[in-house]
Amino acid sequence: MSVKYIPVQWNFNKYFYDLVLLICVAVYILVFIRIGTPEAGVTRPIDGAIIRMRAFGTCAFLMLTVILCIGPLARLDRRFLPLLYNRRHFGVLTFLVALTHVVYVLNWYYAFSDISPVVGLLTTSETSGQLLGFPFEWFGMLALVILAILAFTSHDFWLAFLSAPVWKRLHLLIYVAYAAAVAHFALGYLQDATNPFFMIVAGGGAVMVSVLHLAAGLKASADGEQAHKGEWIEVGDPTVIPDGRAIIVRIKGNERAAIFRNGDALSAVSNACAHQNGPLGEGRIIDGCITCPWHGFQYRPEDGCAPAPFTEKIPTYDLRLEGDTLLIAAKAHPPGTKVDPLTVPERDA
Amino acid sequence: MGNALITIIQVYGALGGLVAIAFLFWGVDRIAPDARGAYVFRPLLIPGVVLLWPLVLWRWQVLERERDVAQRRHKPPRRSQDVFAALLALAIPIILVVALLIRQQGPFEWPAQEIEQASTEEASQ
Ligand code: FES
Repeated sequence: MSVKYIPVQWNFNKYFYDLVLLICVAVYILVFIRIGTPEAGVTRPIDGAIIRMRAFGTCAFLMLTVILCIGPLARLDRRFLPLLYNRRHFGVLTFLVALTHVVYVLNWYYAFSDISPVVGLLTTSETSGQLLGFPFEWFGMLALVILAILAFTSHDFWLAFLSAPVWKRLHLLIYVAYAAAVAHFALGYLQDATNPFFMIVAGGGAVMVSVLHLAAGLKASADGEQAHKGEWIEVGDPTVIPDGRAIIVRIKGNERAAIFRNGDALSAVSNACAHQNGPLGEGRIIDGCITCPWHGFQYRPEDGCAPAPFTEKIPTYDLRLEGDTLLIAAKAHPPGTKVDPLTVPERDA
Repeated sequence: MGNALITIIQVYGALGGLVAIAFLFWGVDRIAPDARGAYVFRPLLIPGVVLLWPLVLWRWQVLERERDVAQRRHKPPRRSQDVFAALLALAIPIILVVALLIRQQGPFEWPAQEIEQASTEEASQ
């Protein structure tokens, strides 16, 4: 949580996550180089530079594939949430691996030329106007530029400065980057690869991204709109909310509220965390505070304020009972507004 | 075309550099109270500002004129995310199928035939 912007906020979990990531990348690159080398021979002269180029290129592709799977997996099954926790470091590392791939490529193809490699790439590989022979490097470059934008705007400052929705819109570019990476891989490596193993791994990974996104999309579209009663929206039986947990109510459009139970007190806040708009309603109440499932920001249920010294605030909503039915106000209060909790006895066990 | 592209990139980058100087020395303190007195993280922002300076200028003026709507910060772009995800899900199989179709050798290459050997045998007879 940000009181002041210190360079990076580290804790044990992040070290662990990053360490596992780094080890995986290192092992992959080493194994690839080891296995790739015997393929080279007099008839198939592949030298070390090409193998390294491919090792980093395929590694970046697979990392991007995993990143793209984390979002829908966490939506489909809560057990994948921990993967989401430090996804930003994953993204930055992917950018670095992709950049290493590009540096190898440029050094290889433009090694003996006196123009700068970047200028060379931009000026020599012009499109021939047909799909076959279309310079697949352009797709790779597009993906790299997007990864750079995402990596450079990954600091929390950008979230606060751009606001989470704008930041998220910008980061939707990851989908474009992945499509470009698939095209880069499919029109490049796939065109002359002779070893089906990698085709199947990478192609299968890409298909999995596709299937997971469809599945998560179908699951999300299944939750319908609640019945409106003018200024109020009907929620239903309040006793179904388990203690320390919430239910999520769709208000209108993109707006969702989370109604939390803390003992016999019910409070409603925005479902979107002030940090990265994580789904607060999927979190829990810990130490009396609503705790975001993504990165652990906390808010008091009654006023949506983060406990001191933190300063984040989220909007709150009025609640009322009509008979046994719980209703929530369709209009939110400004972030940080105090609303007295509604007392509703817990369901008898 | 290549050279024009390079000129455009250079001009864009130079403007980005100017915006970065103005923003990091002056703008940040005005619009981000959390950043006052924190300097170590600022160099980290340089590449982002250079790449995205039009967006930075736009947000800067929104915050400067206090036009930021607090409620909007809690409406994540779910719709657009769903659209992007669905388009990606469709695009992937299409790209893969097209790439396999235009492959000269079909999905997998046939093992190489050794034609050399026959001719050497003939020659030795
Ligand atoms: S989204 Fe990061 S803590 Fe909630």
